[in-house]
Amino acid sequence: MRLPKGEAASGLLLVSPPLVYAVLLLAVPLGSIVLLSLWTQNFLTFDTTLTLANYAEAFTDPLYRTLMLRSLAISGSVTLATVLFAFPIAYFVSFHVAPERKALWIFLITIPFWTSYLLRVFAWKVILGFNGVLNTSLLGLGIIDEPLTFILYNANAVVITLAHAYAPFTILPIYVALEKIDRSLLEASRDLGENALVTFLRVTLPLAMPGVVAATLIVFIPTVGDYVTPVLVGGPDGRMIANMIQIQFLQLNDAPMGSALAISAMTIVAAISLLFLFLMRGFLKERA
Amino acid sequence: MKDPLIVLDQVQKYYDDYHALRGISCEIGKGEFFSLLGPSGCGKTTLLRTIAGFEDVSSGRVLIGGRDMADVPANLRPTNMVFQSYAIFPHLDVAGNVGFGLRKRSDLSAEQKKAKVIEALEMVGLAGYGKRPAHALSGGQRQRVALARALVLEPEVLLLDEPLSALDKKMREQMQTELRRLQRHVGITFILVTHDQEEALIMSDRIAVMFEGEIAQLAAPQTLYRRPASRKVAEFIGVMNFLSATSTVSGDSVALDIAGLGKVTLSTEQCPGGAPSGAAVAGLRPETLSVVIDDATATPSHSVTGKVVEVVYYGDMTYYEVALDGAQKPVTISMKNLPGRRVLEIGDTAKVAWDPSALVIFAA
Amino acid sequence: MKQGTGLRIYAIAYLIFLYLPVALLPIFAFNDGTVIAFPLQGFTTKWFVELLSIDALHGAVRNSLFVAITTAILSTIFGIFAARASSRYRFPLKGGILGLIMVPLVLPEIIVGVALLVMVVSLMGLSLSLWTVVLGHTLICTPFAVAILSASFNGLDRSLEEAAIDLGETAMGAFFKVTLPLVTPGIVSALLISFTISLDEFIIAFFLTGSEPTLPVYLWGQLRFPQRIPVVMALGTILVILSLVLLTVAEFFRRRGVRRTGAKDTGGFL
Repeated sequence: MRLPKGEAASGLLLVSPPLVYAVLLLAVPLGSIVLLSLWTQNFLTFDTTLTLANYAEAFTDPLYRTLMLRSLAISGSVTLATVLFAFPIAYFVSFHVAPERKALWIFLITIPFWTSYLLRVFAWKVILGFNGVLNTSLLGLGIIDEPLTFILYNANAVVITLAHAYAPFTILPIYVALEKIDRSLLEASRDLGENALVTFLRVTLPLAMPGVVAATLIVFIPTVGDYVTPVLVGGPDGRMIANMIQIQFLQLNDAPMGSALAISAMTIVAAISLLFLFLMRGFLKERA
Repeated sequence: MKDPLIVLDQVQKYYDDYHALRGISCEIGKGEFFSLLGPSGCGKTTLLRTIAGFEDVSSGRVLIGGRDMADVPANLRPTNMVFQSYAIFPHLDVAGNVGFGLRKRSDLSAEQKKAKVIEALEMVGLAGYGKRPAHALSGGQRQRVALARALVLEPEVLLLDEPLSALDKKMREQMQTELRRLQRHVGITFILVTHDQEEALIMSDRIAVMFEGEIAQLAAPQTLYRRPASRKVAEFIGVMNFLSATSTVSGDSVALDIAGLGKVTLSTEQCPGGAPSGAAVAGLRPETLSVVIDDATATPSHSVTGKVVEVVYYGDMTYYEVALDGAQKPVTISMKNLPGRRVLEIGDTAKVAWDPSALVIFAA
Repeated sequence: MKQGTGLRIYAIAYLIFLYLPVALLPIFAFNDGTVIAFPLQGFTTKWFVELLSIDALHGAVRNSLFVAITTAILSTIFGIFAARASSRYRFPLKGGILGLIMVPLVLPEIIVGVALLVMVVSLMGLSLSLWTVVLGHTLICTPFAVAILSASFNGLDRSLEEAAIDLGETAMGAFFKVTLPLVTPGIVSALLISFTISLDEFIIAFFLTGSEPTLPVYLWGQLRFPQRIPVVMALGTILVILSLVLLTVAEFFRRRGVRRTGAKDTGGFL
């Protein structure tokens, strides 16, 4: 009834609908923007001569370069901030919350992530604005005399907002990694004469690293391509590469240039991620 | 065998390059309690699943009641199975589980089905548990539900895949006797897969010992224990001492010179794997040897002397390791701790009595 | 535990930080003033009443519901196929195939948006509609459905299906009578999560929507007009409550599924 050969056939047959969908709507479109990035826009038509001119421009034009570097810098800061601030929370839930209440904590942490992203970003604009909640409150309390201006329409605002938006994404993988740690390992370390801090550094942290690595990538990769936050709270100095991609496609009507920027951004992000994974490989080895 | 219920004829099973069953042939009778015994990975579960219809054979035939099962899918075979995990449907209550297979029986009315479920539950000692949800059952109860669920369909063969391995020791011992009683009561063929030799000995009419996809020996428990066909079988079932020997065969008698025991002549019947010529190994179970303490017992016909090198006291029994003069390895001897019987100490000299009829001879 | 106390205070502060922006929505939705600033101007429900009279908004809600429901159904069906294949069968290139299906999880949404835009408009010459949004949303929701349903399918003891077959069911009968009832909580959960993601998704919809905007695209347009902000806050409040209800229901079903199959609760949707 079920020869190994038959099993492979059944498996492939079963997986084929989502597979065909992913090929047609993911692999083919990604292939098409790669192709398009090698063409050039000629007013309303495409010049289909293959050329790397768009890529040359993407990497040499100072505007594109600034946007790309800024996107990476903002993403890097967001990632660092979320991971640093999230680790203690994950640690707290894993080590200091009673087992029967852990699920509740995780649920509480996850909820804000599922509420409208657009509205959450917008709420930060309301909080950080010139006449915003933060300024009016601080003025009202007499803590400041004039509204603070360095907190909206710049890169700082983008970092704060994105760090907030991606917080649950960082906590969960770290929490899962911490939960997997056999508690007797920590007792063994104490038993072998290490104090709590050294035990944390020599046992807990290395074992939690797979979660930290996952969290880092989960935040870094999508934030580089974020569009909404720079537009709402970034101001001219907080614009990122996704905004330029959108402008190329929908306003300048230069899809090939937009594609080249998108592909470049994706390649750079992939390269950085792979480099990061390579550097962290020591922590990711399968432990017996 | 006259009128076997199940015939396995040269059953082969390959998984890609892995040869899981290597030409299994045997016959299983009606009403027999038959066990497949072997270490994990020996193919015993694969063989059981082949009979159930969950695996097909690469070559060879499986016949049940004289009918070739090649084109009969699992759901239409006259077999039912008790799974290792019990596979109790978690979304149904006890009655729902037991009645699961009855739903397709159009020849029974709803009342008859209900009555059958109640009867099956009574049979396994779970009367009144029908409305109990699956998750509220203990391990032993789950197993009883699994039994009732299979037996209610009145199969010709009940297949049991390590049914007791998930239970604790006490529960396991209780279920062993109960399963045996149940089998006698319903009178159908039970095929049990187990890796526990003691369990197989306690419950079975016959046992097939399997190693690496082959049946190493198929025999009744007593034969298996007393006359194992190979060293490997002997080692898998219980404990056995092995002493090197040289043998000379003449007709149906074997003359042996056994290291530590000396010369003896035996019948070839004591060589179940065939009488070896030249280098041989003599096997002795620990309980067939005895240490003669304070010359209390009558003078044995065969005895040698040795030195006690280890003593393990078990309460009801004492296990001695005794180094015999001329033997390379000490032998293990088990002694009942009868009232007034002294326990020897390490370093004592011991007189060891042995019985030639208890010897089993293998090729070296 | 001194260390625990310090961490607990930090954790509570962190939760406040997480909830602060969300909490502002209802506060200003009921505030009787067009400027979003403290002090509050008094209680009103007029912004909610105003919502009722905006036709464009009603159209956007209808569009979003259509997109979200269609997406939820399609992604869950794809999810069932992929999760069943991954938990039950071995087949060549399994890792690569499932990897490809899961890729949208780590792809910036703008890449998905422009790639689909290029293929649909520039290369295939089709026009944008709600269906193009559905195509994009199904792509990004399927990995979530696969993840949730894989957990459901993997939690099942494989011998349950065999037991059903052993007791006389066909393979198909065993799937429908045993497997499907046991993964139903996972299916409901996958439907709700996909629905929620699609309902909230902005950037792909922004690129792929035609003349009929989805709710987030409509909202995006409104954010430019300061006088519309209180109405947006009111709408946001309703959306947050809706998300909360959907998530609580999804979590309820997920946990019930975990309990039913007797698997260990690993918590969360990831």
